Amino acid sequence: MNSVEGLVTQIQGLSSSASDVLSLHNVLKQADDSLHAESTRLLPFLDQLDPSKHSLGYLYFLEACTAGPVTTESASSFVLIIARFISSCAAEQIRLAPDKFISVCKRLKDQVLFLEEPLRAVAPMLAAIRKLQSSTENLTTLHPEFLLLCLLAKCYKTGLSILEEDIFEVDQPRDLYLYCYYGGMICIGKKCFWKALELLHNVVTAPMSTINAIAVEAYKKYILVSLIHHGQLSTSLPKYASTVAQRNLKSFCQPYVELANSYTNGKIADLEAYVQANMEKFGSDNNLGLVKQVVSSIYKRNIQRLTQTYLTLSLQDIANTVQLNSPKEAEMHVLQMIQDGEIYATINQKDGMVRFLEDPEQYKTCEMIERVDSSIQRLMTLSKKLTVLDELMSSDPMYLGKVGRERQRFDFDDFDSVPQRFNI
Amino acid sequence: MASSSSSGLTFKLHPLVIVNISDHYTRVKSQMNPPPLTSTSATVNGVEPLQQAPRVYGCVIGVQRGRTVEIFNSFELLYDPSTHSLDRPFLEKKQELYKKVFPHFYILGWYSTGSDAQESDMHIHKALMDINESPLYVLLNPTINPAQKDLPVTIYESELHVIDGIPQLIFVRSSYTIETVEAERISVDHVAHLKPSDGGSAATQLAAHLTGIHSAIKMLNSRIRVLHHYLVGMQKGDVPCENSLLRQVSSLLRRLPAIESEKFQDDFLMEYNDTLLITYLAMFTNCSSTMNELVDKFNTAYDRHSRRGGRTAFI
Repeated sequence: MNSVEGLVTQIQGLSSSASDVLSLHNVLKQADDSLHAESTRLLPFLDQLDPSKHSLGYLYFLEACTAGPVTTESASSFVLIIARFISSCAAEQIRLAPDKFISVCKRLKDQVLFLEEPLRAVAPMLAAIRKLQSSTENLTTLHPEFLLLCLLAKCYKTGLSILEEDIFEVDQPRDLYLYCYYGGMICIGKKCFWKALELLHNVVTAPMSTINAIAVEAYKKYILVSLIHHGQLSTSLPKYASTVAQRNLKSFCQPYVELANSYTNGKIADLEAYVQANMEKFGSDNNLGLVKQVVSSIYKRNIQRLTQTYLTLSLQDIANTVQLNSPKEAEMHVLQMIQDGEIYATINQKDGMVRFLEDPEQYKTCEMIERVDSSIQRLMTLSKKLTVLDELMSSDPMYLGKVGRERQRFDFDDFDSVPQRFNI
Repeated sequence: MASSSSSGLTFKLHPLVIVNISDHYTRVKSQMNPPPLTSTSATVNGVEPLQQAPRVYGCVIGVQRGRTVEIFNSFELLYDPSTHSLDRPFLEKKQELYKKVFPHFYILGWYSTGSDAQESDMHIHKALMDINESPLYVLLNPTINPAQKDLPVTIYESELHVIDGIPQLIFVRSSYTIETVEAERISVDHVAHLKPSDGGSAATQLAAHLTGIHSAIKMLNSRIRVLHHYLVGMQKGDVPCENSLLRQVSSLLRRLPAIESEKFQDDFLMEYNDTLLITYLAMFTNCSSTMNELVDKFNTAYDRHSRRGGRTAFI
C-alpha cells in the first residue's frame, strides 16, 4: 500500500510540465508490475487523481484496475469511469503510452458488449480516436473497434463520419483489414454501395503475405456488392493485389463466383434457382440480406440494358422483357430508378409509355466548375504524396537488391570504362 | 560624369536600336569562347576560363529635327584596340550606303556595352566629333539584374565643364523616351516571345507559352491593383480628386467585357469546363502512371512469388 500511495503523490507532483511527465513515465513503467499485483485495491486511489491533469498516472492505474475479468457490477461502474476519463484526458500525455490507452479502450468495448449496450461506448470511443491520432490521416487500432461498436449499435451515421477521412498511415496491417471490412459493412447498411465497394476492394488488394480470414469474408461481400453496384464482376484482381490473394481467394469463395456467373447471364430464373440451392451457405456467412438485394438488382440491370436499345417502350413490354409480373411493378421499378438517379426517363401515364432520355448534365454551370476544381486540387495533393512514395520506394534497399540481381549480365554500360554502379 | 544634361534636347529611342545592340553583344559573346564545363573542372585545371564580358561597338543613326533627336537605327563597327579608335573607312563606307537608302538619316553618335561609361570612351567620342559636333553615347548594360525595373540603357552627351580650372569634356546623362512605330511593335513582340529552338517538345513550348501568359496576367493584375488603390485613396480623400484621371479610368473600364449576353455565359462556362476537364484528365493520367510505377516497384521488392528469377529486358 505504501508504494501505491507513494506513487500517487509522485503522480500528483510530477504532472505539470513535459519533462516532468517524461520522468513520471519512466517511474510508472517500473512500477507497472507492482500495480498489476494490487489491482483489486486500486479503485479508491483513482478518486485522488484528476484525469485531465494526471492523465498518464490515471491511465496506468486504470489499466491495472480493469485487468481482471469482467463482472456485471464492476462493468457498469468501469464504463462510467473509463468514459469520463477518455473525455477529459490530455492527449499529449496519453500518447506517451499508446498501448495502455488502447488496452483500456478495448476493455471498455468488452464491458459494453458484456452489458449489451454498445451505444454507450460509441461517443467515448470516437473521442478516444481523436485523442490518439497523430493526424486525421493516421489509422489507429481503435478505428476498427469503433466501427465494430457502431455496427453493433446500428448508428451508422457516426461510423460514416470517420470513414470520410482519407487514410495514409497505418500502424498495423490487421487494423487496416478490419477497418475496411467493418467500414464496408457500415456503407452497405447505409446503402452507399460505391464506398462499400472501395473499402472492400482495399481489403482484398491489401498487401498480405498469407491469406487471412478477413480477406476471404471481405471478398465474398465484395463480389455481392460489385454485382449490386456495377452489374458485373471483374474476373481477375488488379495487379497491385498480392499474389497470394490473386491465387487463393477465388477457391475460398466458390459459391459466390458461381452466383456472379449466373447473374451475368441475365436469366432471372436460373439465378433464383441457384440462390435457393445454396441458401444455407449464404446464410452461414450472414450474407443472405445481400444476396436478396443482388436478386432484386438484376431487374434494375435488365431495365438499364433496355435504355441502350430503345428510345421509348411501353410498360407492358418492359414487364415482359424483364420478366416482371405486371406493368404496375415495372412502373414502380422505373420510378424508383429515376428517383435514385440510375436512369433518366419520363413516364407518360396516359398511354403507359416510357421515354428514355440522355443525361441532362450540360457541364456549363458554376457548380460543375467548382466540383472539377476541387477534384483537381485533391488530385494534386495525392500526386505529390505519390511522388514522395515513389522516391522512397526507389531508394529502398530491398527493391534495389532485387532489381540489381535481375539485370542482364552485359549492358552496354559494361563496354564503357565507367564502372558499374550497383555491385549487388 | 555628371548627372543630368542641360542641353535641352529631347531624345527618342527606337526599340530597334536596343534589339540591335543586344543582339550584337549576344552574338559576340557566344562566339567568343565556349561556356566553361563545370566550375570544378575549371579550378582543377588551374586556369580560370575567360569570363570577361566583351565590349561591342557601333554607330547609331537617326534624325534631328529642331530640339528633338530621334534615334532610328544602328550598325556595328570594329574596334581597333591598338589605335583605340573605331574602324574609320568602314564607317564612312557604311554611312554612304545608308545615305542611299535613308537620305534623311545622319550619324548621331555611337554605342557600346558595359556597366558604366569609362575614360577611354572619351577618345572614341572625340574622334566622332568631326562627323557630328555633339555625338551621343548609348550605353547598354548587359548584366541581368532581376530586381531592376527599367531598361539598362543610358544615353550620354558630352559637355564642356570646368574642373580644377581645366575645361574638360565629360559625359553627362540625358533622359530619353522610347518611341515605337506599329511595325516595330509587332517585331519586338515577336522577338520577345521567341521560344527556345531546342526545346522542341510540345510540353516545354506549351510551358513557355503559358508562363508568358501568366506573367502578363500578373503584371495586369498588379497594375489594376495600383489603380484600385489610387481610386480608394481618392474616395477616402487622402488624394486630391483629379477629374481628368477619373475620366481616363472610366473610359478604360468601359472598354472591358464587350459581351454580356446569356449565350456568351453559356459558351464561356462550357469552354471553361472543357479546359478544366482536360486538365483533370491529364493529371489523372499522370497520377495513374506514377501509381503504376510505384506498384511495379512494390511488387518487385516485396512480393515473394512474382517474377521467378526470369531475366527482364533491362535497358
